[in-house]
Amino acid sequence: MFRYEIKKVFARTGGKVALAMLLATLLIGCRLAAGDYYVNENGDYEYGVAAVRKLRALQKEWSGILDEEKLRLAIEEITAIAATPQGQSKDVRESNIAFSWGQATYEIRLLLNNSFADDFQTNDYYRAQSLTPDDAKSFYSNRVRLLKEWLADEQKGAYYRFSDAEKAYLIRQYETLATPFYYDYTGGWLRLFDWYPWIAMITVMVLGYLVSGIFAGEYQLRADAVFFAARHGRDKAVAAKVWAGFAIVTGIYWMMVLLYSAFVLAWYGADGMACPVQATRYGWKCFYHITIGQEYALEVFGGYVGCLFISGLVMFLSARGRSAVVAVLVPFVIIFLRSFLGQADSKIVGEIMGLWPDLLLQMRGTLAYFNLYELGGKVVGAVPIMLVLYGVLTAALVPAIYRAYRR
Amino acid sequence: MELQLTEVTKSFRDVNAVDHVSGTLRSGVYGLLGVNGAGKTTLMRILCTLIRPAAGKITWDGQDIFAMGGEYRRLLGYLPQDFGYYPDFTVQDYLYYISSIKGLRTVTAKRRTDMLLEQVGLSQVRNKKMMKLSGGMKRRAGIAQAMLNDPRILILDEPTAGLDPKERIRFRNLLSELARDRIVLLSTHIVSDVEYIAGEIMLMKDGRIVLSGTPEELSDAMPETVWNCMVAPNRVGAFLRDYKVANVRNLKGSVQLRIVSAEAPTPDAVADIPTLEDVFLYHFGEKAGEEDVSL
Repeated sequence: MFRYEIKKVFARTGGKVALAMLLATLLIGCRLAAGDYYVNENGDYEYGVAAVRKLRALQKEWSGILDEEKLRLAIEEITAIAATPQGQSKDVRESNIAFSWGQATYEIRLLLNNSFADDFQTNDYYRAQSLTPDDAKSFYSNRVRLLKEWLADEQKGAYYRFSDAEKAYLIRQYETLATPFYYDYTGGWLRLFDWYPWIAMITVMVLGYLVSGIFAGEYQLRADAVFFAARHGRDKAVAAKVWAGFAIVTGIYWMMVLLYSAFVLAWYGADGMACPVQATRYGWKCFYHITIGQEYALEVFGGYVGCLFISGLVMFLSARGRSAVVAVLVPFVIIFLRSFLGQADSKIVGEIMGLWPDLLLQMRGTLAYFNLYELGGKVVGAVPIMLVLYGVLTAALVPAIYRAYRR
Repeated sequence: MELQLTEVTKSFRDVNAVDHVSGTLRSGVYGLLGVNGAGKTTLMRILCTLIRPAAGKITWDGQDIFAMGGEYRRLLGYLPQDFGYYPDFTVQDYLYYISSIKGLRTVTAKRRTDMLLEQVGLSQVRNKKMMKLSGGMKRRAGIAQAMLNDPRILILDEPTAGLDPKERIRFRNLLSELARDRIVLLSTHIVSDVEYIAGEIMLMKDGRIVLSGTPEELSDAMPETVWNCMVAPNRVGAFLRDYKVANVRNLKGSVQLRIVSAEAPTPDAVADIPTLEDVFLYHFGEKAGEEDVSL
């Protein structure tokens, strides 16, 4: 039964087209992720594996504990490059040459920009070159200071956005983060995270299309009478449909994620897995204490939970409504609704949107958002809540789909 | 082996689709004859437990069929009027899939599939996709799926709909072959489909079984007489308006009419033995001719 349910999905022309779309998505995603470049000493751009290797080798020179000494050296190098004629030049090629000298410290420069920003929410690319080596000692304390200033600012800050407990939680998270960071080249992971949400979103939309027909198809093809009049038409055959749906979601999702991950990490290397996310330009403000490797795990498992939930919802609606028309729209609605409602000036809507299932498909963004919830007097970030919430809801959908369809 | 219906009733809004139907079905072929909308499909869907009756009871050897659930459906083979299939499956895969949802073991499924494909004449096209089959072939595949579990109760809803006369005859012969040792309930609005193979015919009208019996019993029980008479071509219209005309045959210079009537329609009309078609015409009147009833 199970095998034939899967065969039904992929025997259709629509099923084959969907697979082709997924393959195209994977190829485009890999191509986009492989777009990193290296600028040579002449100021020319180089692309491809060889360029990536050069950039990686340069940045690896700075791997290790990012302590005051290393930061001091980095500031010295950045300011020295900025002081050269090329660093001062308005000419593109000259600027590119200066950039090529600074590629080794490029990621550290971005961290310095964050640390020494004027306030928590601004960022100036040229800030690092105006620092002195002595500034290095306040690199980590700035992070906490800027947060505290932001939380206390009634005008432009987040004074009214968080409760006292939430503010205390954020400050505690910042203060207890282990420093100095272990720093390494993380190009592979950063590129992987760049395009993962795009791949996950297209995958979930295609999966929604694929699984929407599992239940509605019997009615659409008018095969329901024979199906339900069969001995197992209201028990095992329905269960086979449910499992086939989740098996398709599982198989395709992991195939997409693992092939994409394997390609990107093979292209760039998997260095930096043990670095805290705060040691990267995107994770500097993150209040979760996790490493890059843990972020990857959250990305892919969160995406899996999101795919299971959204596809499960599609199956439930198609089983209940006996039509795929409405059900197939569910992934689109889920993905795009937050773009509209997310702007609403309502605390309740904001809190709901902070747990919206599409956030599971773009975990890097979710980890960066300051979405906090108070549960039983305890402040918790959105990520663990979402993983539990949608895990439980997905588990609840399994019997719900079964009951909705079995008559 | 007894399927007992007691006062089975089902309404859709204000229409009594099945109205207090009772009867007992034992081994043999039963023809359910009625015009479109008589309630045949609803009754069959109830017998397949696809619809629950609003009132009444159906038992199989004394047990309620709805309470039996899967155990009852294990005994059931069903070919719906609107037979849906999976267009991208081959005939063989389709039958294997239906075997699996019918709970057949793989070995049994293969054996039954091979046997039935041979029986319905589809062995040569077993690897062809369902959507590539002709209408008659699809119906035969439909019969094969209904027979996969060697059902005790075989329910065929308008199985010959849309088939050409040759396929229809082939289908009738096939059905006679399959009908041994089981209850076969065959619904149709085409008299000739059941005339030769049904042991008992039930006439269904407005949700009720208005008459049942063997074809001979039904013919004998007809209260009116069948007449053959010759009329002038310009009088045919008047006869069609005033009488139940079973057949109109144009001859040179005149028209021969077959009329069901208590009185002789013309002084020279000759009484004839009623056929099942005449009985059908008598009970269903002008509605009987809505679709190719004379085939």
